[in-house]
Amino acid sequence: MFKENRDYNKFLWEDLGDLEAGRPNLGLNVPVLVYRLLQFTLRDVMITELGINKTNDIIIKAGRLAGRQFCENMLNRELDFNEFLSQLQSVLREQTIGILRVEQVDFENMRFTLTVAEDIDCSGLPPSDEVVCQYDEGFIAGVMEAYTGKTFHAKEIDCWTSGDRVCRFDVRLQKDTE
Amino acid sequence: MIEQIAEKIAILLRGKIPEKIDTGKITDEHERYFANTLNHLISFTEEVHEFLIPLSKGELTKIKILPQNFFGSPFKELHSRLLHLTWQAKQVANGDFSQRVDFMGDFSEAFNAMIVSLDNNEKLLKRKIDELEKALSHINNLEGILPICSNCKKIRSEETDPKKQACWVPIESYISEKTEAQFSHGICPECLKKLYPEFK
Repeated sequence: MFKENRDYNKFLWEDLGDLEAGRPNLGLNVPVLVYRLLQFTLRDVMITELGINKTNDIIIKAGRLAGRQFCENMLNRELDFNEFLSQLQSVLREQTIGILRVEQVDFENMRFTLTVAEDIDCSGLPPSDEVVCQYDEGFIAGVMEAYTGKTFHAKEIDCWTSGDRVCRFDVRLQKDTE
Repeated sequence: MIEQIAEKIAILLRGKIPEKIDTGKITDEHERYFANTLNHLISFTEEVHEFLIPLSKGELTKIKILPQNFFGSPFKELHSRLLHLTWQAKQVANGDFSQRVDFMGDFSEAFNAMIVSLDNNEKLLKRKIDELEKALSHINNLEGILPICSNCKKIRSEETDPKKQACWVPIESYISEKTEAQFSHGICPECLKKLYPEFK
């Protein structure tokens, strides 16, 4: 999977491996520090090699792929929408990814405002002029896509780094953003 | 200059929003920096002030603190929590008693206890309604005119042929079938005297 050239995504949930068998002593969890170390160093190198736009594009696409796989493997897609959101909230908390809150739901127009507090990607980062949760943007869009079968766009409109203590995402159908 | 700045800070401390300092007339570089910083604080305070007043009245939509206003960060988080609580309350109102409020201390405990209580009360109410509906169905079954034999007191089952003997059932069987009542058989004094005159 990681050594051949290809122009399509191949990742499957099973590729994560049998973690219980593989880590009988150290267990399934790693500190947030390690997660950020991996993501931020990877981004840092990507920015120097590919430029910021390409890097962000890749991060969002990776998040989208992760979100789709997460939804297909960790969530019950048969629930109605509000129950699905409640379930997503519970699973994100259990996996210590973040505390999801639903601010506004316009189901008719498929437009939502969601926030994530204590976000794994950015909570506690120093203030800056940037929003940094591009991976979350892709992840949320991917989850929504796997649930609805429609293409979504998620845009971070507030971030811990911009002084907001929560990350706020405007989520809507892709066609509404074009 | 110092007096002017002190006056502005005093106004801020009284919970009011002072006019900003006109920095165009300040020639000293340090004083201008100081005045700009104070003006920044005044802007942040004003923005938070304008955000908190509608928030305190429960007007949650259409209020916003701009990014980079770190002074207002905790209020933005509070705003986010209140918006989420509003959504959760709507879900509970629609019958989703699985909603729980997390990480909000005493409020979480109170809100979650209220949802559990609502859930239990609704379950209890539904059980009572079921019991009453069952009781009502039994009452309905015994309503109306019962065709009864004037001699042996057997009752004819509903919509059956009166000429067929099998359609006539003993009154005990009929009532036992339609209700949860059961019969124990004895004999009344008058019948005892008539049927068994040897018994005194």
